[in-house]
Amino acid sequence: MSFFGFGQSADIDISLDGTENRKMAEIKSEDGKKERHFLYYDGETVSGKVNVTLKKPGSKLEHQGIKIEFVGQIELYYDRGNHHEFTSLVKELARPGELIQNTLYAFEFLNVEKPFESYTGSNVRLRYFLRVTVVRRLSDVVKELDIVVHTLSCYPDMNNSIKMEVGIEDCLHIEFEYNKSKYHLKDVIVGKIYFLLVRIKIKNMEIAIIKRETTGSGPNTFTENETIAKYEIMDGAPVRGESIPIRVFLAGYDLTPSMRDINKKFSVRYYLNLVLMDEEDRRYFKQQEITLWRKGEKTRKNLQTSPSPQLLVTGGAESFIPAHNHSSDPQDPAGTIEDMKQDTNEEEHSSKMTVQTADAHGDACSTNLTADGMDE
Amino acid sequence: MPKRVCSGQATVMEYTVEKCSSLPAKFKKLLVPGRIQHILCTGNLCTKESYDYLKTLASDVHVVRGDFDENLNYPEQKVVTVGQFRIGLCHGHQVVPWGEPDSLALIQRQLDVDILISGHTHKFEAYEQENKFYINPGSATGAYNPLDTSIIPSFVLMDIQSSTVVTYVYQLVGDEVKVERIEYKKS
Amino acid sequence: MPMTPQLSPVEEQERLLDEALSVVKIQALQMKRCLDRSKLMDGLKHASTMLGELRTSLLSPKSYYELYMAITDELRHLEFYLFDEFQKGRKVADLYELVQYAGNIVPRLYLLITVGLVYIKTNTCLKRNLLKDMVEMCRGVQHPLRGLFLRNYLLQCTRNVLPDVAEPGDESEGSVRDSIDFILMNFAEMNKLWVRMQHQGHSRDRERREREREELRILVGTNLVRLSQLETVNLDKYKKLVLPGILEQAVSCRDAIAQEYLMECIIQVFPDEFHLQTLHAFLKSCAELQLGVNVKNIIISLIDRLATFSQRADASVGTTGIPSDVRLFDVFSDQVSTIIQSRQDMPPEDIVALQVSLVNLAHKCYPDRVDYVDKVLLTTLQIFQKLNTDRIEYNSPVSRELTRLMKIPVDNYNSLLTILQLQHYGPLLDLFDYHGRKNLAAYLVNNALDNETQIPTQEQVDAVLTMLSSLIQDQLDQPPGEEDPEDFAEEQGLLGRFIHHLRSDIPDQQYLILSTARKHFGAGAKRRIKYTLPPIVFQAYQLAFKYRALRNEDEMWEKKCQKIFQFCHQTITALITAELAELPLRLFLQGAIAVGLMEFENYETVAYEFMSQAFSLYEDEISDSKAQLAAITLIAATFEQMSCFSEENHEPLRTQCALAASKLLKKPDQCRGVATCSHLFWSGKRASTGGKEMRDGKRVLECLKKGVRIGNQCMDPSVQVQLFVELLNHYIYFYEKDNEQVSVQVLNQLIGKIREELPNLEANEETEQINKHFTNTLEHLRNRLESPESEGLSYEGLIL
Repeated sequence: MSFFGFGQSADIDISLDGTENRKMAEIKSEDGKKERHFLYYDGETVSGKVNVTLKKPGSKLEHQGIKIEFVGQIELYYDRGNHHEFTSLVKELARPGELIQNTLYAFEFLNVEKPFESYTGSNVRLRYFLRVTVVRRLSDVVKELDIVVHTLSCYPDMNNSIKMEVGIEDCLHIEFEYNKSKYHLKDVIVGKIYFLLVRIKIKNMEIAIIKRETTGSGPNTFTENETIAKYEIMDGAPVRGESIPIRVFLAGYDLTPSMRDINKKFSVRYYLNLVLMDEEDRRYFKQQEITLWRKGEKTRKNLQTSPSPQLLVTGGAESFIPAHNHSSDPQDPAGTIEDMKQDTNEEEHSSKMTVQTADAHGDACSTNLTADGMDE
Repeated sequence: MPKRVCSGQATVMEYTVEKCSSLPAKFKKLLVPGRIQHILCTGNLCTKESYDYLKTLASDVHVVRGDFDENLNYPEQKVVTVGQFRIGLCHGHQVVPWGEPDSLALIQRQLDVDILISGHTHKFEAYEQENKFYINPGSATGAYNPLDTSIIPSFVLMDIQSSTVVTYVYQLVGDEVKVERIEYKKS
Repeated sequence: MPMTPQLSPVEEQERLLDEALSVVKIQALQMKRCLDRSKLMDGLKHASTMLGELRTSLLSPKSYYELYMAITDELRHLEFYLFDEFQKGRKVADLYELVQYAGNIVPRLYLLITVGLVYIKTNTCLKRNLLKDMVEMCRGVQHPLRGLFLRNYLLQCTRNVLPDVAEPGDESEGSVRDSIDFILMNFAEMNKLWVRMQHQGHSRDRERREREREELRILVGTNLVRLSQLETVNLDKYKKLVLPGILEQAVSCRDAIAQEYLMECIIQVFPDEFHLQTLHAFLKSCAELQLGVNVKNIIISLIDRLATFSQRADASVGTTGIPSDVRLFDVFSDQVSTIIQSRQDMPPEDIVALQVSLVNLAHKCYPDRVDYVDKVLLTTLQIFQKLNTDRIEYNSPVSRELTRLMKIPVDNYNSLLTILQLQHYGPLLDLFDYHGRKNLAAYLVNNALDNETQIPTQEQVDAVLTMLSSLIQDQLDQPPGEEDPEDFAEEQGLLGRFIHHLRSDIPDQQYLILSTARKHFGAGAKRRIKYTLPPIVFQAYQLAFKYRALRNEDEMWEKKCQKIFQFCHQTITALITAELAELPLRLFLQGAIAVGLMEFENYETVAYEFMSQAFSLYEDEISDSKAQLAAITLIAATFEQMSCFSEENHEPLRTQCALAASKLLKKPDQCRGVATCSHLFWSGKRASTGGKEMRDGKRVLECLKKGVRIGNQCMDPSVQVQLFVELLNHYIYFYEKDNEQVSVQVLNQLIGKIREELPNLEANEETEQINKHFTNTLEHLRNRLESPESEGLSYEGLIL
């Protein structure tokens, strides 16, 4: 025991090159804490220094070799044992031998591929990190350093508006329009709702941004819906002919780009859910997928100097921003279709639901306005 | 407690509605309600409306019966006391000859008055005779009279102060109101 | 267990309001604290929480208003703070975006407006876009009460920053055009919300809802006020932008309450010069309003305003305020008839009320256009024809309105003659039932009397009297039963006075007038003619005098006079057939005097006829002793005045007088009668002796002696003495007139007799009066004794 206990050990410190000019980005850790790491893009070289510091100066450290790895992996929380590494590069820093003094190693992963965006979700995490390992006979000395990867911006080629007429026969017909189908993360959703027929007593109307994270495949598919934002756009009952403006600023919310079938492990999709509530608290809603994308950060300087809307969150105005932590609000239905079904006993609208497809310009044309308790 | 009336203003007029429409507007303007304490009218009001009009000018209205008054409640003669004066009121159609001073003196003596007011002739008169004062206010409406076709509408205002009566005669000559002042002192 | 007391609705409101206000107080305090420490985000958070109170649905409009006032008052702190910060250059970038993260729309929009205002104030080039954005975003609040107040806040906040220049110096700062758009949009939305209130909730709460809407209408109206305050809105812009915008909304909202209020608002808020040039559009819209709208009031309000305006302009500039190209009356007239046509349900009284205001308009703006007034009357007449109305019931709403309509020209022209020019006045008057016609007729008569209007031609007299026939003659539709005698007397008295106004200065015309009047009034039945015929008779007498005065100019005068007296004779006879006696008697006497002064051919005969008619009446019709005395006195007094009779006629008349007097029933009356008649023999005048007094002292004395004799026959000593005193005075009278037949001895005799009897009388007031009379008589004699007149009349030998 004394051998282990009193044996030599070392501290490993990884430092990255060019950090003075490198932006940092925020990401949540698995336990929900926010962390800040240096931000890299696909194809960027990741280089730096590894400093191994001996804990007991003067005595030597015997090792089986020292290596540094660049790892990109997907962790599914329900499957802790299996981390799917989609990227794993290794560089040997030292061959097996002895360290008799503190030693500095330079490393470089040249133009390394980083195909996905870092992501922390409810059931899945996608992370990039550097790992230095001093291999020893009994226990390795390991040190990891996370970095954050943002995908490169990719401007959508087509970006049509979403326009659709939906309704429930003889009850409610509306036409809604969102100005785009693809929004960047700091974008503004502009639109309007036009009421063609109103025979129900509407109390209010809101737009919710729902994030749907799907993990796994086949029978082991897990879907998690999360209401990122809930935003009242109308108070009171409109009459036929009213047109209600929509304007939602996205910058203030905790959003990621939409992700599709990342390494066949998971997807993150975003929906705009238009919800109308009547005076008997029945809810009528229509979900519409939107694509979120990350726009090129050309305005780097501005972001550093001006208080962005995100500062509002740190400024403590929680009630001010319907971020997803609002879901703790007891009145707030969990924001999923399934939950809503439980809200009501009303069945009558189910069969009368009509589907009206908007004109061809509409981006997505699958189109139901869904009434509460409507279907199985 | 005896009521002491030592002075007062009285308007004296003959109305004669039957033969004319109503008081000239210029007179109506002069006759402001509330300024006059007594109205002594020598008759021929003919209608209740005329009487009601006089009542709006003063609460104390005395009327005797004229030859065209239907109202049998009006007396033929009347004596009104204002201050130190006994004033006799009589239309005058019963006095023969009409308006003659000596005939009127008979009435004055009978009524035992200091001042005798009579009318009927539609002609203003005011004179003293045997220390008694006689007034004929003429016709306030300027009504027709067969004996004199050029009638000047007139009425009289008497200002009574202890033993003196100052009489103001208002006459409508053409379109103008002329005022004359006559004083009478009781001996 | 604690009992929670049941709260009344009012208490419940108070409680809810108190609760909300206390939250406001706390949050406002915290907001201000944060702002003091420059913690803007925290400040905004408290502001947002405070504003959250305005999300309530529990408060009544009144309470909500109080809450709104309290909160917007606090918001001003935020506004000042932000304005200050911005002034200092400490700009908070994206604040306008930032406040839009508020999850609830009501607080979000209040903040948006507050911040937007600060942006506009500090950076005017944002003005145009921000105004547009704010007014658009407010659409999100569709709840009527909350929306109304939110938009009111918007309107209040922007009131000093609205661009008011005709042409924008800088595009982004906007022009008045943008302000108009902005307010019109806000107005339209507010109006819709306000209208929507009507359709919410249970129908049993309708009354309450309408009350609440009344309370809130000022919020909507403020938009129009704001529009009217834009100085660069000229007539052109008003005509092309402002008014069409308002009217479009007013008409399309299809809500009676809103329409009524908005139209009234337009009238009151915008200048009359604008109204004058936009009448068509405005009135056209009036025709399109809901059936429940009281269009009448709107039109009346506009007309009254324009009428007043024209008068005001008249007074100030001396010219009419109505531009010559604006055919105000025609426009109104046309539009009003369109409105009436389009509104079949309009009650007739409202239709008439519209005509009332048209007449008012015509009077005030075109005082000399009688034809306008007549046109309105014609229209009104046609309306009733269309409605198949042939009788308008007195005191019904229509009748009241129509009466109002009919009185306006009367009051305005103050001339019955002008009324006669209105061809349709009469036919319209005939629509009233008996009471209505009579009422209006009396009004016309009174107006003529007050204004001393003279009706100078026969035709006019005929027309006027036809119009007044309800007063003059019995009517077919007259309800049976007696009317109030006092009212009747008063109304007939009015007519009596009115007859004196039927007068022409041309005698021939006057004659025709009187004949016409006689025809009309003669048909008035017994109960009326005693009031109406005597004035005609007097008018005729006067006319005779006029002819006489013109005897040198009109060679026919004698014939005409004769005709007149014939006319009078007939007229008086008509009164006799109406079983009247004293009145015709007096009229004959008056006529006799008049004739006596005429000196036309044969006049003595006519005068005699008049006198003899008086005697016949006296003998045949007057039976009351008191009336008999009065009548014979009047006959004698009248006769005494006359000097037209020759001895041939004079003799029977005077004898008849004395005889009649001596035949009176009661002794005292006989006594007094003969005493009166004695004067006929003294100052009576005959034509045959050139009108000189008779001075028949003997006959005088006979009369007086007869008087004394009759006096002696009186049983009542008091009356007897009284008669003696009176007779004494007559003796004295004639003594002083140098009647030699009356001697001092006679006087002494009579004085002695009175002296003898007087003390025997019972001491009472009557005796006292007799005593006074006697004393006064003696006093008179004493005066004469002591200061004998120069003529040498002497009372020598008189024993006093």
